[in-house]
Amino acid sequence: MNENREKNLRTFIVDVIRWNFRGSIAFQLFRLVLIGCMALGIYAYSHQAKYGLAVTGMNDIVSWGFYISNFTFLVGVAAAAVMLIMPAYVFHDPNFHRVVIIGEGVAVGALVMCLSFIMVDLGGPLQAWHLIPVIGIFNFPSSILAWDVLVLNGYLLLNSLVPAYILYCHYKGRKADERKYRPFVFLSIFWAFSIHMVTAFLYQGLPARPFWNNPLLGPRFLASAFAAGPALIALILAVVHTATPYKIDRSVFNKLRLIIVISAIINLIMLFSEIFKEFYFPTHHSISAMYLFFGMDGHNSLVPWIWTSVCVNLAATLVLAFNPGKNNPKVLLPACGFLFVAIWMEKGIGLIVPGLIPSPLGEVVDYLPTWVELSVTLGIFALGITVVTWLVRTALIIEDRYGK
Amino acid sequence: MCDQKKTDNKEEQQKDLAEAMQEKSSRRSFLKGLSIGAAAVSATLVTGCVPSADAATNEELRLRWQEYFKKNYRLMTQEEKDQTVSRLERLATLREGLEVQIGSEPPVKKVLYGYAFNITRCEGFMECVAACIKENNLDRKTNTQYIRIFEMEPGKLDPSEGDGKFFHEVPVENKFYMGTQCFHCENAPCTKACPTKATWREPDGIVVVDYDWCIGCRYCQAACPYFGRRFNWGKPEVPKEEVNVKQHYLGNRLRPKGKMEKCTFCIQRTRKGRLPACVEACPTGSRVFGNLLDPDSEIRYVLKHKKVFRMKEELGTEPKFWYFID
Amino acid sequence: MKKLPKLGAGSLAAGLLLLTLFFFDTKWSAASETSFLETVKGHDVQFDNRSVRQVLPVSQPTVLAKEEYQGGTFQVLARKQEIERYRCSSCHIVNGGKEVRGKNALTLTHGNVVVNHGQEGNALACIDCHHPEDRESLEDKKGRKIDFDHSYQLCGQCHFRQKRDWLGGAHGKRVANWAGDRVVYNCTTCHDPHSPRFAKRFPVIYSVPLK
Repeated sequence: MNENREKNLRTFIVDVIRWNFRGSIAFQLFRLVLIGCMALGIYAYSHQAKYGLAVTGMNDIVSWGFYISNFTFLVGVAAAAVMLIMPAYVFHDPNFHRVVIIGEGVAVGALVMCLSFIMVDLGGPLQAWHLIPVIGIFNFPSSILAWDVLVLNGYLLLNSLVPAYILYCHYKGRKADERKYRPFVFLSIFWAFSIHMVTAFLYQGLPARPFWNNPLLGPRFLASAFAAGPALIALILAVVHTATPYKIDRSVFNKLRLIIVISAIINLIMLFSEIFKEFYFPTHHSISAMYLFFGMDGHNSLVPWIWTSVCVNLAATLVLAFNPGKNNPKVLLPACGFLFVAIWMEKGIGLIVPGLIPSPLGEVVDYLPTWVELSVTLGIFALGITVVTWLVRTALIIEDRYGK
Repeated sequence: MCDQKKTDNKEEQQKDLAEAMQEKSSRRSFLKGLSIGAAAVSATLVTGCVPSADAATNEELRLRWQEYFKKNYRLMTQEEKDQTVSRLERLATLREGLEVQIGSEPPVKKVLYGYAFNITRCEGFMECVAACIKENNLDRKTNTQYIRIFEMEPGKLDPSEGDGKFFHEVPVENKFYMGTQCFHCENAPCTKACPTKATWREPDGIVVVDYDWCIGCRYCQAACPYFGRRFNWGKPEVPKEEVNVKQHYLGNRLRPKGKMEKCTFCIQRTRKGRLPACVEACPTGSRVFGNLLDPDSEIRYVLKHKKVFRMKEELGTEPKFWYFID
Repeated sequence: MKKLPKLGAGSLAAGLLLLTLFFFDTKWSAASETSFLETVKGHDVQFDNRSVRQVLPVSQPTVLAKEEYQGGTFQVLARKQEIERYRCSSCHIVNGGKEVRGKNALTLTHGNVVVNHGQEGNALACIDCHHPEDRESLEDKKGRKIDFDHSYQLCGQCHFRQKRDWLGGAHGKRVANWAGDRVVYNCTTCHDPHSPRFAKRFPVIYSVPLK
């Protein structure tokens, strides 16, 4: 180990690559599986690029499907990194300080996935340069999609540049100057809330879709994000704690549990509020909710989906709230996993597809993703996991060496 | 004594971490991973990614290159519009062997198009739908239709209560027929939603799409409350002998795959003073079209003397398509 | 450190102000009480139909209508060239001359005409519309002679609501163009005068259901 070797940006990049290509057999196998999934995703996307989006399950009525569902959910996961940053920087919790970098890695991975989902969903991805101001036209501030492009890229920059600066300083063996990055950390707290509200406004601002056009959608997004995101982070931290020598204090998990429980309960309260509004006195505006929860005109493919999601959500929230086993990770971590999946189901397919069914003229169809959509999604998830693995692994190595 | 042991353990732990990261750090595993990755990527590229490289002539490639970098149509000068139109005409000849005339007529001054639909007179013959398909070169493979006709039960004006998929002898007694298409709203939610301003309302009131500028995000389709927009999920196909060669850049020219399209009030006809194909085809005269700014026009007569209403008026989209009864 | 909550609150307030500014500019335009219709209806300047230069004139034979619509004079599609056996005077006497007679002449010459105009049992008779002496003209209830090309004057006696709408443009259709000189379809271009109701038929196409 060459401690005396000169360190600069070039060696940083070389070292990062070197660290991530080495590791145990289990790690190599893990990377191989991820590469396989990405290859499958690329092949499926090439099929889609050749024949058009007709190879997906989308049509003129369900014009957004699996891709946008996953995008919506993952923006929430990205925003949830703020739930690690706030205890670390606002409440000065030293144990959280240790795991902030992992949270930011997860945020970057989730954002990369979000942007990838948007790119694969576009009908004309080669024309994406039309969005860039000056050389194209950027319809800001009228179009909420333009706002979304801005805030997502800004958040990506914030969450990649600040940790990069800190890690590079630690790599070079010196302390990072907190005065330089502290304002950006606080900016990213505010920004995290805004990325998810703006994504919610994408749907909330459409009077054509009464299922989405309600004021509770933005706050609901925040609540579900701050339940699902920290749940995922808790799982990742558990993996880091057991699979690597980087140890994480129990108090981090306990505090995360509190954050998850509060957000999950608020999410359920909001769900109840929505259900009351739709079903106490159903109007023509409630037909989407009718389709989702009870089916319509013989089309009921989403009914088991949403009921499973709601029941699992409720069960996981109760387990996390009542904490049987007293912070036993064997109880809490599966509960986190189930909560994450339940919210993915409800906020992904369970939000996007019913918003579009029935069509504005009342026609009902069913939606089922095709092999192309499933493969591309798998590929993008593998890409996200790869990015997170690279970032977290790099961060842990540097932090560990810096700590010595 | 205890402190010493603690620090010893800590050192050991840190050493373990460093060793764990360096485990099996042989060149072999590095190269193995890299080669598998390269093989996977190249395999996928060969099988799927490469676009069909059938005999694309140099001229076609040059034209496509120029077309790729052009501006949004609304920002083009008339000269640039003429250039892109001639390029598209040439590409149509090269690619499909068709002699087309793509117009780029600007909007007629002092004109704002309006449309009225007589729900007493419509008998559900759907001649309008068939004429629209032929006039606007709509995709035959997916049976795209801009116009939808609903068989409605009297007492209910909501098309979700009607039947849009009827196919039996018409008219059925005690039912009325109502048609929908893009209503060319004055306060259109779709034009507001577009992130690249690929769709906008022209000065003569027609909401148009620049097919080459559209990125295919389909936000406009989510925003439209009237199911007015259609997306080209695949490459649209029209049999060569049925192609309408009198086209307009913003209208019925052959659209590329992955772009949004919609009714354009037959811009290729209306800017030359002709009626849209649906109005002309209707055998019962249920459709009225004209210039809202002309106080003597038929559409103004309908708005003045008939009981008119618009669909989903509470949304404030201000459509320029009215329904009326005799 | 103590400045930071204030910094956070300040940036939040600034952000909210920016957001509201951006949204109000769109909100003001949408919340205006007057719809664009008010502007349209206030538009009283006559439109010069000739200003649309590329409009092709109607090629079918037309006649100048004997009545005016809100925009002045207009043309109607002529009908006489469409009538199979026009020049009724080749068989029927008009103001003197020899009448052509034959066995079963009515069935042979006009047997294809089935009058289905009016209610069951109360249908119109031939003589209700056709002039008894001058078969080349129609006759209204006041005994006035009406030309075949101007049959709207006759139809309009009973169907006065449709005629009023037809003059204005809410009934019937313009021929080919919305601009240029107004040419409209005659009553009998669409409605067979002997059986005016449109026949029941299958639609020419149907809407393909999406899955």
